[in-house]
Amino acid sequence: MNSIENKKLMEEIFAGLANRNGTLLVERMSDDFRWINIGTNKWSGTFDGKEAVLRDLLAPLRARLVERSRTVAHRFIAEGDYVVVEARGDNATRAGKPYNNEYCFVFRLSDGKIKEVKEYADTALVDAVLGDPAEALTG
Amino acid sequence: MSAAENKKLIEKIYAGTASRDGALFVQSLADDASWCVTGQNKWSRTFKGKQSVLNDLQGHFQSLLVERSRTVAHRFIADGDWVVVEARGDNMTKTGVRYGNEYCMVFRLTNGKIVEIREYCDSALVERALKDFPASRIPTPD
Repeated sequence: MNSIENKKLMEEIFAGLANRNGTLLVERMSDDFRWINIGTNKWSGTFDGKEAVLRDLLAPLRARLVERSRTVAHRFIAEGDYVVVEARGDNATRAGKPYNNEYCFVFRLSDGKIKEVKEYADTALVDAVLGDPAEALTG
Repeated sequence: MSAAENKKLIEKIYAGTASRDGALFVQSLADDASWCVTGQNKWSRTFKGKQSVLNDLQGHFQSLLVERSRTVAHRFIADGDWVVVEARGDNMTKTGVRYGNEYCMVFRLTNGKIVEIREYCDSALVERALKDFPASRIPTPD
């Protein structure tokens, strides 16, 4: 797919995420999909493979939040295999805190599938609001 | 300018910053350029105008470092007026803390000048290594 098709796919995926619907995002993750969070907090690092992303990153995040997460994109920048998305979160935690991070996602696509995303976000806010993912599913 | 020309300019700017040379960056900033440090951390705000970007934000940042800052880009993504750069810092603070942040910088260009910058990075590291942004450098509202 070319950059216009890649951008269109990411726009469709984020149209879903703005309505708390991640179905298309999950559907378009390749099996070897990799999600990298910058920084050195407990959510930082590389989640290798679609299964690990869903189990170790997205499930604990979901457990922290009152509702399914809502992420609203406001810019898409695409070239070649890459699509950059700037977005804002619009969420509340079960502990009663707002969690409205600002994101810059760098997606790499191949043949209509997402192979990798690197997430840049306000890591100080992650530390302050989300705590430890290992405790999210139990606590 | 086309996306390809914008990308070429930003690549040249980062060839400079990899060698601690910010001259082309400064030269390419429009007078009304703004730099937004995204997020809700202690450095988050929008610095409006070339003078504020250079004196307030860059002025304070550079004053914390042993040498002029070094930033090494590893990816450029250009589309229309926008160029995104992924980069790593390679710096040492005067207090002896290694400061190697990871950056995603979103640039908007018009007529060969940078008019807008949006910075995303590890803000927890910013607060740890660089501490609070000082009140004396916070620009006064328009």
